[in-house]
Amino acid sequence: MSKLVDIITATTDSIRNQSLDAACRTMGFEQLLEECQSLEELWYTSENLYEKVRALFFLYAIHRFHLPFREEITEKSLIPFIVNEHILNRRFVEAIDILKERQRLLGPSICLSSALAEAYKKLAFQTLADQVRRSVRSIRGNQWMFRIGHPSDHPLRIKKELYRTDRAELYPLLHETTPVRMDISHSGWSDIFFLGMDYPEGAKVLNISIDLCVQDVQAEQKPKPPVETFLRIIEEPVLRLTSVDLGATADITRLSEVFDFAKDYLGLLKAAVIASGLVPSAMEGVDIPISQVLSQLVGHGLGIELVSQVNGIPKGSRLAVSTNLLASLIAICMRASGQTKAIIGQLSEDERRLVAARAILGEWLGGSGGGWQDSGGVWPGIKLIQGVVASEADPEFNVSKGRLLPNHTILDQNMVNITARKKLQDSLVLVHGGMAQDVGPILEMVTEKYLLRSEREWESRQEAIRIYDALVEKLKKGDIKGLGEFTHKNFYGPIQTIIPWATNKYTELIISGVTEKFGSDFWGFWMLGGMAGGGMGFIFNPEKKAEGQIFLKSLMLTLKKELEDSVAFAMDPVVYDFAINEFGTIATLNQAGESLLPTGYYAIRVPQILKNEMHKIPISIRQELEQLGIACKSKSEYASFVATLFDRMIPQVQAAKGPEHTLQQLLEAQGFDPIFHNQLKADLKNGRIGLSQNRLPVNDKITDVTPNDVIIPQPSELTTYYNIGQEAIKSGQLAIVSLAGGAGSRWTKGAGVVKSLTPFAKIHGKHRNFLETHLAKNTKISMECDSWIPHVFTTSYLTDKAIKSSLERWKYYGFQGSVYISEGKTIGLRFVPMTRDLRFEWEEMPQQILDEQQQKLRESLQNAMINWAEQTGEGSDYIDNAPHQCVHPVGHWYEVPNMLLNGTLASILFNHRQLKYLLVHNIDTLGANADPAMLGLHIAHGAALTAEVISRNLDDKGGGLASVNGKVRLVEGLALPDEKIEFDLSYYNTNTMWIDIDLLLASFNLDREKIADKLLVKEEVRNMARRMPSYITIKNVKKRWGKGQEDIYPVAQFEKLWGDVTALSELRCKYVVVPRFRGQQLKEVAQLDGWLRDGSAVYLESICDWCD
Amino acid sequence: MIIKKAVITCAGSSQRKLPLQTLIDKDGREKSVLEILVEETLSAGIDKIAIIVHPGDENTYREIAGDYARYITFITQQEPLGYGHALLMAQEFIGNEAFLHLVGDHLYVSKSDKGSAWQLVQRAQKEECSISSVSPIRENAMSNYGVIGGKRIQGSSDLYKIDSVIEKPTPTEAEQKLFVPCLRAGHYLCFFGMHVFTSVLFRILQNRFQGLKKGEKLNLSDTLNELASSEHYLAFEKNDWRYDVGTKYGLLKAQLALALAGQDRDQVLNDLLELLTLRELKNSN
Repeated sequence: MSKLVDIITATTDSIRNQSLDAACRTMGFEQLLEECQSLEELWYTSENLYEKVRALFFLYAIHRFHLPFREEITEKSLIPFIVNEHILNRRFVEAIDILKERQRLLGPSICLSSALAEAYKKLAFQTLADQVRRSVRSIRGNQWMFRIGHPSDHPLRIKKELYRTDRAELYPLLHETTPVRMDISHSGWSDIFFLGMDYPEGAKVLNISIDLCVQDVQAEQKPKPPVETFLRIIEEPVLRLTSVDLGATADITRLSEVFDFAKDYLGLLKAAVIASGLVPSAMEGVDIPISQVLSQLVGHGLGIELVSQVNGIPKGSRLAVSTNLLASLIAICMRASGQTKAIIGQLSEDERRLVAARAILGEWLGGSGGGWQDSGGVWPGIKLIQGVVASEADPEFNVSKGRLLPNHTILDQNMVNITARKKLQDSLVLVHGGMAQDVGPILEMVTEKYLLRSEREWESRQEAIRIYDALVEKLKKGDIKGLGEFTHKNFYGPIQTIIPWATNKYTELIISGVTEKFGSDFWGFWMLGGMAGGGMGFIFNPEKKAEGQIFLKSLMLTLKKELEDSVAFAMDPVVYDFAINEFGTIATLNQAGESLLPTGYYAIRVPQILKNEMHKIPISIRQELEQLGIACKSKSEYASFVATLFDRMIPQVQAAKGPEHTLQQLLEAQGFDPIFHNQLKADLKNGRIGLSQNRLPVNDKITDVTPNDVIIPQPSELTTYYNIGQEAIKSGQLAIVSLAGGAGSRWTKGAGVVKSLTPFAKIHGKHRNFLETHLAKNTKISMECDSWIPHVFTTSYLTDKAIKSSLERWKYYGFQGSVYISEGKTIGLRFVPMTRDLRFEWEEMPQQILDEQQQKLRESLQNAMINWAEQTGEGSDYIDNAPHQCVHPVGHWYEVPNMLLNGTLASILFNHRQLKYLLVHNIDTLGANADPAMLGLHIAHGAALTAEVISRNLDDKGGGLASVNGKVRLVEGLALPDEKIEFDLSYYNTNTMWIDIDLLLASFNLDREKIADKLLVKEEVRNMARRMPSYITIKNVKKRWGKGQEDIYPVAQFEKLWGDVTALSELRCKYVVVPRFRGQQLKEVAQLDGWLRDGSAVYLESICDWCD
Repeated sequence: MIIKKAVITCAGSSQRKLPLQTLIDKDGREKSVLEILVEETLSAGIDKIAIIVHPGDENTYREIAGDYARYITFITQQEPLGYGHALLMAQEFIGNEAFLHLVGDHLYVSKSDKGSAWQLVQRAQKEECSISSVSPIRENAMSNYGVIGGKRIQGSSDLYKIDSVIEKPTPTEAEQKLFVPCLRAGHYLCFFGMHVFTSVLFRILQNRFQGLKKGEKLNLSDTLNELASSEHYLAFEKNDWRYDVGTKYGLLKAQLALALAGQDRDQVLNDLLELLTLRELKNSN
C-alpha cells in the first residue's frame, strides 16, 4: 500500500495533514518511483477533486524537489518537442503520458523530471481552476445566465422607478456607494478559493469595511466610501460605459464588444454587466446589435449608462478596491433590473451573498481572481468571514470538503462596542507604500505549499489561525495595543515563514524607521492583503497617531527616492484617513434636479459632446447640459468644473513637450547614433529585418553536439584544475565582469528598474541584491586565494548612475578589492512594433496557452495592441512614455566591447599588470563564481573563450549549444530556424564565459598596446559589430499613468548578443558542462520559491562571504 | 371536504373591463369573459359565486352576466388595497368553508372533456387541503406570475407540496428559492389563476391586513407563502391552456384558442389559412 496515497485519502486529520517532504525523506529512489506510480493511479481513478489535485501536487513535488537530487538519477535526457507543444497547448495529460513512456524506456533523468514537474503542476492548477469555474457557474442564482442565449428570452426588465415621468426632466440616477475592505487577518491567505475549499475549517478572515480619503490631497474632506457607481437610462440604444478615474468612456453598440474585456479600460464595467445578468454570459459569441438586448431590457430606442468612480484611491492599495468596485457595479445593475428587493438602501444578507458570488464570476470573466473575502465592502462594519463545509445541498458536495462561498458573521456593536471601534480608528495609520506588485505568484506558492502540507508552512498556518482567534478577542475587548502586537507577530511569524517574499526591503526599512522613532508608542505593523509594500497599516499609541502619519509620509518618500532604482514603484506613497463604514454597499435614487453625474464624468463626456454640431446633440443631452450649466453656478461641487473642462480641452503645451525634450537630452547624452537608428528603422519598415529574419537560413544544418564537443570535468581532474586556477588568481590573473546593464524586464514585467540592485531575497539575515551577492562570492574566492579579484560591473544608461551611487552609498558592500564601472555608451530608441512582428510573436512562435478566460483576455489585449501599433504608426519611434522607457540597452554583446571603448579594460590592465583572464557572467546567474577549478580548466585547455553550459531542462528556452554546419557554437533561440531544433540540443547556454584577454583582443585586431588608441578601438569594435547579427526583439514596457495605473506595451528593439562571438572562426572556444546550481538564472519572481526550496539558495549561501 | 362556493376577483383597476369583453365560446355562442368563467365554475358543481368588483361596477356586471346573475353575489372592494384584500372581502360570503377561486382576467381551455376547475375541485376534495393549479413556464416569462417552489408528492405525477411562493420572481430568485425537482432546466411552476383555499387563508389575510402600514397593499403571494408554511398546501400541475386576456393580444389569443378547441375549428383554420396565403401572395407580388 502506498504511504503517500494513504496520506491523501486519510479521513483522520493527523494522517491527512502529514507533510510530503517528511514522508519522502525516508524513502529510497525506487520507493519514490513506486509511490509516483501509485499517485498516478490515484489521480487517474479518484472522483474526489482534492484527492486528484493533491496527488498531482505530490507528483509535481517529487519530480521537482526529490528525484532530481537523488544520486541514482541521470543528468541528461532530451525532452521531446511534442511534450513542449502539449504543455503549451494545455494538453498536460498527453505530455505526461509521453514523458512517462520515455522515462520507462530511458530511466529517470533530471530533464524528464523537470518536464514532468511542470506538467503535473500546471495540470493541478488547471484542475483547481476548472472546479472554481464549475462551482461559480453552478451556484444557484448564476445558472440562468449561462442558459439565456437569445435577446427575446431575456428575463430581466429595468425597474419602472428609473424611467422619467416628465420628458422635460432628466432620468432618475441610481447611485451606489461602497466601502473597501481591510483585513486584520486572512489566516495565512486562507481565503484563496482552492484553500477554503480544501480546508474550510482553517479559512478565516477578520475583515472591516472602511471609508477612505487620501490625506493632503483632500485635506478638508472626511473619509467617504471610496467606490461610487451610477446607473441611468439614456435615450440612445447603446450601452454607455464610463470609468471616471481611468478617463475612459465608450458607447457599446454590438453585443460582442461587451465580451471584449481588454479592448479598453472598461473591462471591469463589462464584467459587471455580464455578471449581473444584464447581458447574460450565454450570449457570448453572438454578434448582434446590442439594441436588440436593450429593447427587451429597457425599451425600444433606449439604452443604459453605467459609470464608475474611485475617489482618489490608487491601484495596489491592498484594500480590494477593484473587487469592491466590481461588486458595487454588480449591485447597482441588479438593483436596476429588479434583482434586489429594494432599489435603494442596504442589501439583505441573501442579496449581499449573491453580489459576492457574482463578483467572483465577474473576476473570473475578467481573468483575475481575488480571494473570497475581497468583496467584504459589500457588508457593513466588522465581520468574520469563514469557510463552510459543503453540505448535500451545495454543488461542491462530494467534490471538495468546503464550499466556494464562505459565511459572513457581522460583529455588531454588542460584540465590538463603539469605544473599541473608535480606539481602532484613533490608532491605525493606513498607508499605500507605492510599490507595484503582482500577488499572483504568491497565491500560487501558498496553494502549493498548503496542499503539500509542507511542515513549516502547515505549522505556521495553524499558528496564523491561533493568531486570528487572538485578534478577534483583542478586538472584542477593545485592546488595540494587543491587536497591534498580534498583527506584528503575524507578519514576522507565520506570514513570512509561509512566504518569505511577502515582505521586502522597503517594508522592513519603514518598520525599522518607525520603531526607531516611536519606540513603545508604535504598537505594531499590519500587513494588508497578499504582500507588503503597497497598502499597509501601522498601529500607534493614539496620542502619536497624527505624528505617525506625518512621519510615515516623509519616511516613505525618502525611502522611495533611495530605492526606486531597484524596486518597482508605481506611484508616490500616500497616507490615508479612514473610518469604519457601518452600512456596506448602499444606494440612493436621485430624482430629476439632483440627477447630475459627478464633475469628473462631465470632464470626459462634455468635450466629446461638444465636438458635434448643436442640432445633432440629442435633446436629452442638451437638457442635461442645461442642468449642468445651472449647477456650475449654483452648486459648490460643480463650481470649478468650467476651469477643469478648459484644461482638458486645451492641453497645456509645455506638459506635452516636456518629455520629448528630456528624451532628446537623454539620447544625446548616451551616444545615440541617429544614422544607424534611421537605417534600422528603414530596414524594419521595409521588411528587411524583423522577427522572422532573425532566424538562420533553413538550409543550415543545426544538430546537437557530440560528447567530444564538450568538457565534462571528472572529479579526479578538478583538484589539478583548482590548483592551476588558484595559482592564477593568487598572481592577479583574473578579473570578474558582471553584466549589469539590464533592466530586468521579466523580473518587473517592464517596470524599468535596475535588476542588479533588486533586493531579490533575504539571505544571511538581510535582503540582498544581485550586485552585492556577486561581490560576496568574489570576496569568498579572493579570501580563499589570498588575492582580491578586481570586479567590473558593466552598466547602461539605465543602470549606471544607480549602480555607482549604490556602491558608494553602501561602501562597495564591504568588498575590499578594486571595483570598476564600465559605463555603457550605446543606446537605442525603441520602435512601435510592426504588426507582422507582433503577429509572428503571438501567432507563429510557441506560446503558453492560458486558462480559458485568461486566454480570451490575452487575445483581446493582443488585438488592442495590434490596433495601437497600426494607429500609432508601425516602425515609428516609440516616444509616448517616460524617456528612460523609450530607450533601450542594445544587448549584452556591447558590454564587453564597451570596456574597450570606454577605457575600462585599459585601465584595469594598467592597474593589474598580471591580468590575463576575465570571467564574464550575467547579473542573474547567481551560482556563477570565480571557481578556481573552472579557471584552471580554461587555462589548461588554452581556449580563447570557455563557455559554461548546463543540461537542458524544460524551462531552459532560448537556444543552446549546437553544431551549425559543423561548427560548434552557441546559438540564440531567436536564430533557430525552427523551434523544434531547440529540443534536440542537450545543453543550454548559461552565458558564463571565461575569456583569455589577449586572444579576445587579437580577434578584434587589437592588443594591450593598441587599446590605448581610441580611434583604432572604435574602428575595430565597429568592424566586429558588423559581423555580429542584430536581432529584432519584442519587449514589454510599462507605461505608468493616473493613480498607480500601469499599461504594458509591446515595443520593438534591436539587440546584439554576446554568445554570437562563439561563431567567429578565429576564436577558439571550448564548452564545459557545469552543475545546474552554478548555471541557472533567476529571471522571474515566480522562480524564487522553487529556488529557495530546491537547495539553490543554500548553495548560494555556501559560496558567499558577506562583509557585514 | 365539499366545495360549494367560488370567488372571482374582478376589482383590479387594470382588469375591471376585461371580464366584460365578449368572445365566441367553444359552442359557437357569443359570451362575455365573465359568462365563460361562471360556466367554468358551474361545471365544477359550484353554484354560489361571489364576484369582487370595483364600487359602481355591480350593475354592469349583473347585466353582462345575464341569466347567470342568479348564481352571483356581487361584493365591492371599497378601497384598492391589493389582491389579497379583494379576496378578504369574500370572507363573510365563504364562512368557514373551502372555496374555489378564479381570477377575472384568465380564460381556461381544458385538454379533456372535463373543465379545469372541475378537475381542481375534485383533487381538492380528495386531498382535503388548499390546492392551486400550476403550470410549467420558462424563466423569461416569470415576470407576470406568482411562482411556487416545492417538491413532488411521492407516487404522484402532478401534485407538489408547496414550500414557498414568490410573486414575479427574478430568475436568480427563482433558481435559489423556487427550485422544483423533475422540471426542465429554466422552467418553474407558476400559478394558473385557479385555486381552492381552505378558510385558513382568511385568517392569514386578516392578520396581515391588520399589520398593514399606510400606503401598503395586501399581496396574495406573500399570504400564500405564509399559508405554505402553516398548513398542507399543494400544487396541481395542469397542462390545460390558460389565457391572460389582460396581456397584449391576450384576448385575441384566447379567442383563437377557444375557436380552435370548439365546433368552428375547421372554419377558423380555413380563415386563418386564407388570411396567411393572401398576405404572402401580396408580399411576393
